[in-house]
Amino acid sequence: MNDIKSGICSGERRWKACASAAALIVITVLLAGSMAPIAYAHGAKLSYEPSEGVEVTAQFDDGEPLSGGQVSVYAPDEPSDPWLTGTCDGRGKFFFVPDDKIPGTWQVKVRKAGHGGIINIDVKEGTVESGGSTGFSTLQIVVMSLAVIWGFVGTGLYFARRRDNARS
Amino acid sequence: MHVPDGIVPAWVAITGYAAAGGTTWFSLDRIKRKYENPREMIPTASLLTAVFFVASLIHIPMPPTSVHLVLSGLMGVVLGWYAFPAILIGLFFQAVMFQHGGLTTLGLNACIMGLPALLAFGIFRLRYLRGGDKPGPSMIFGFLAGFSGLVLGALMSSLILILTIPANLDVSVERAAILSLLVAHIPLALLEGVFTALVVLFMLRVKPGLLEAELK
Repeated sequence: MNDIKSGICSGERRWKACASAAALIVITVLLAGSMAPIAYAHGAKLSYEPSEGVEVTAQFDDGEPLSGGQVSVYAPDEPSDPWLTGTCDGRGKFFFVPDDKIPGTWQVKVRKAGHGGIINIDVKEGTVESGGSTGFSTLQIVVMSLAVIWGFVGTGLYFARRRDNARS
Repeated sequence: MHVPDGIVPAWVAITGYAAAGGTTWFSLDRIKRKYENPREMIPTASLLTAVFFVASLIHIPMPPTSVHLVLSGLMGVVLGWYAFPAILIGLFFQAVMFQHGGLTTLGLNACIMGLPALLAFGIFRLRYLRGGDKPGPSMIFGFLAGFSGLVLGALMSSLILILTIPANLDVSVERAAILSLLVAHIPLALLEGVFTALVVLFMLRVKPGLLEAELK
């Protein structure tokens, strides 16, 4: 009986200990969550929140950044009017946080002196699909160039041969 | 000089296609009328298209920007009426392979680079008023053809871009960027003029018949 009583007692004690530990953890988490990092500077208050955003990098095909390129971001529900406009920094970079309440394909258009392009960014409810690029690697460019050049040279040789055959 | 997709309004791209279609038809009609065997020039046209295709990958730094070779003047000088269809094909492969230019703006880009090539062809023919195929006049008119081929293309593309800047952009900033790029094309025009003159001289020495083909 004693054993049972003490067993119940020890069970209750353990439950209480667990409950208080859990409460402590919850309080700590809540406190930590509510205390966003704050920096003070002469009365001004700065704070930051980490958030998931999109960094677009715009470069010419020789690798030179489209610094100062004008950026227009189009939301999926309004493809004609830009949702956001801005300018690329000196490294051709532009950062924005799409509204995750508007899922779908977002379009970012970058333009400088008539050069530029459009990139599509898929945003699902709450997440941005992994990164993408519209460019190719140097090796891909070399191989593609060689393939196309050979196509032209081959065409030239084919017709040159036909011409020679016709003459002979 | 290559206008990419999504930069100009749809009506400009469609007008470009219409103008390119008309010029291609006109060029092919001329080829059919003037050449006994139109296939004879295909090897040359094909090789020059390959040169045109790669030329745009050769970038020349022109601070604060960089420009790339176009060679539309050279195309006109060597190919004559074949230049426009050759440029159209070269641009198609540049757009498909490297997204250099674009498929919606293929017609427009063909006009921006192909019409100056035809102008260069016309300028190069003027040498017959001043001594014909002698090296001196050929080089001078070759230079003028290469130079004006590039300048006209740069002027056409700048004008089209400036007139179609979307209202949501900072128009003055974009216009200034376009004009500075236009200025950067002047040294390139000189370079392409010299290059065209040297190619003309080389061809006169090695294979003079090739330049006579464009006489027709």
